[in-house]
Amino acid sequence: MKWVLVVCLGLGLLTGIAFAQQKVLTIIMEDLPETDIIRALLPEFYAANPDLRVVIDSMPYEAMRDKIMTQFFAPVSGYDIIIVDNPWTDEFAAAGWLTPLDDFIEATPGYNYNDFISAVADIAVYQNTIYGVPFYNYAVALIVRQDIFDARGFPIPRTLKEYVETAIALTDKAAGFYGAAMQAQRGYKIFEECANYFYALGAEVIDAEGRVVIDSPQAKEALRLYCLMVEKAAQPGAVTHGFDEAMRLMAGGRAATMISYNWMLPTLNKPEISGKYAGKFAIYPVPGSKAVLGAWYWAIPHNAADKESAWRFIAWVSSPETQKKAAILGSAPVRISVLTDPEVWEKGFGKDYYLTVLEILKTAKPLARGPYAEQIIEIVGLELNNAASGLKTVEDALRDAADELKKLLGQ
Amino acid sequence: MKKRHLISDRILFVLPLWITVSFISIYPLISAFLTSLTDQQLVALAATKFVGANNYYAAFKDVRFLKSITNTVIFVLYAVSLEFLLGFMLALVLHRHFLRRIRGIARSLLFTPMFVTPVAVGLMFRYMLNVEYGIIPYLLRTLLGIRVDFFSPSYALFSIVLIDVWQWTPFMLLLLSAGLESLPQDCYEAAKVDGAGAFATFWYITIPLLRPIMLVAILIRMLDAFRVYEYIYTITRGGPGSATETIMYHIYQVGFRFFRMGEASSKAVVFAFVVLIFVIAIYRALRRYEEWV
Repeated sequence: MKWVLVVCLGLGLLTGIAFAQQKVLTIIMEDLPETDIIRALLPEFYAANPDLRVVIDSMPYEAMRDKIMTQFFAPVSGYDIIIVDNPWTDEFAAAGWLTPLDDFIEATPGYNYNDFISAVADIAVYQNTIYGVPFYNYAVALIVRQDIFDARGFPIPRTLKEYVETAIALTDKAAGFYGAAMQAQRGYKIFEECANYFYALGAEVIDAEGRVVIDSPQAKEALRLYCLMVEKAAQPGAVTHGFDEAMRLMAGGRAATMISYNWMLPTLNKPEISGKYAGKFAIYPVPGSKAVLGAWYWAIPHNAADKESAWRFIAWVSSPETQKKAAILGSAPVRISVLTDPEVWEKGFGKDYYLTVLEILKTAKPLARGPYAEQIIEIVGLELNNAASGLKTVEDALRDAADELKKLLGQ
Repeated sequence: MKKRHLISDRILFVLPLWITVSFISIYPLISAFLTSLTDQQLVALAATKFVGANNYYAAFKDVRFLKSITNTVIFVLYAVSLEFLLGFMLALVLHRHFLRRIRGIARSLLFTPMFVTPVAVGLMFRYMLNVEYGIIPYLLRTLLGIRVDFFSPSYALFSIVLIDVWQWTPFMLLLLSAGLESLPQDCYEAAKVDGAGAFATFWYITIPLLRPIMLVAILIRMLDAFRVYEYIYTITRGGPGSATETIMYHIYQVGFRFFRMGEASSKAVVFAFVVLIFVIAIYRALRRYEEWV
């Protein structure tokens, strides 16, 4: 018994010494399957970097921005590595809160930064400096119940007009079945969905010259079609529904289509998520073929204690090799080499899925850029919701959105 | 000599409290007020400059802010009134002699909603009231044939009121029950001897004696209701449109989503004055009633 105690104490002491010599990197991440995938791959990181340990502080999306913000003002950031959502990149970079990564990238052999899809990677470039490297994408796609389309003989809609007509035709409100599971909740959610309608008709919120053009005739027509969808094809209460409600409706077999994140396809096709409907979902580019792009980026706070060690983790997790393994486990890839890798096709979700995602990512566009991106999203998201709720006409909503945006941008 | 010693002793005893209150309450208030006189933005702290009362002028012209004040006042009036009426009724019922055996267990069960965190309550009702798969709309449809979208533009704010009533009526019940049990019995005995009926006893004895407790309960609940935020954040995000945007949610958006701290601080100061006006109004109205009686 005495010997057992001595051995245990000795082991404990050795473990303590070992840990004391290890540097701990704290990372803030969102509570999502992507984070679980990173956790599953961590043993490989530890094997290659025995002097480092990683602590992942995962939380809901809504809690992240505030927590990251408070760390920027600390003498030393509590997070060595952060993930940054695409609307925040320019804002954080402009405020000087992120560490430039160009030198780190250049000094990392085999990193191959150009392998990232340029539309995705460019979002984290501010004034020709790289402040973040892509983690995963959440570009939206059209997800459909392929069995219903096949059974009813409907072709997959390629234009916005076709989509609206098809969704309305598929709706049977008396039976509780809807042509589209929609997320018209005020703010980010409705903008994320409705912006695809804008892009499909060539409408923009702010044009390439930085002028506010959200009240253009194309934008009005796009919003009119969106409101028509909410009225005739969406589930009741869609104007207060977010991603969760729309996903549950789709997973429960109560909707024929949804415009949602491309990585929803493998999720929906899991039996534990969709039960008897698993395997019946398919993915296509959004009607109009220009989707809203969302992505997360790895970044290092300006006041991180050990930027070198932080980069060692980022270089590993965003490397082609790790990205490939993550993709096979279900991650949404951002490297061209991964999306076109036959082994990923075979062990992941199939060639069609990855090539569709690649096609989407090449032309996808974020909702807003610049230091005021978050405010632009809120202003537009409010007025779109006003129109979808019937509280304002389409014209009034877009006029008010335009006025607010011009005031914000000093136009 | 003895008097001077006593005075300095008093100051010494109170000094720790003054220092604590200064750091916790007075300094933040002054700091917030000073920030409200600037155009401070967290993304550009170095460029902060003094703008005087400009933020306040802008706040009173901000349609969304004014709408949030209206929403909040409506919410507070409905929620606190319903909570008081229901809480008082429940307190009176549970105070009846014939329920004395089950009084303890009944109160324990009724107090339960109060101990659930408001965020969890918000999430719970978000799904329970969902028009498609929520249990409450389902029961209304199947049992009564009524189809209700609880979060439509017409009903969303009132649904938030009902959620608040569900959670915080027990608070009123708690205070009013304690008040009823602390009332002196000799007044009731004297009233009985004088032949007073149940209503007269209630109106001329119970209500006046309970007034201080009622005042405290309403004031505390009102102050809390003005800060409503969790239900808005977890359920509606201020929508549909601005139907449920309250002052706290609006200030949160401006200050912590958009980082416009100068603007947010000015709106917080305006909010504090709005609350103060209500508190003073309620207090004076109840005191006037006391003088009239």
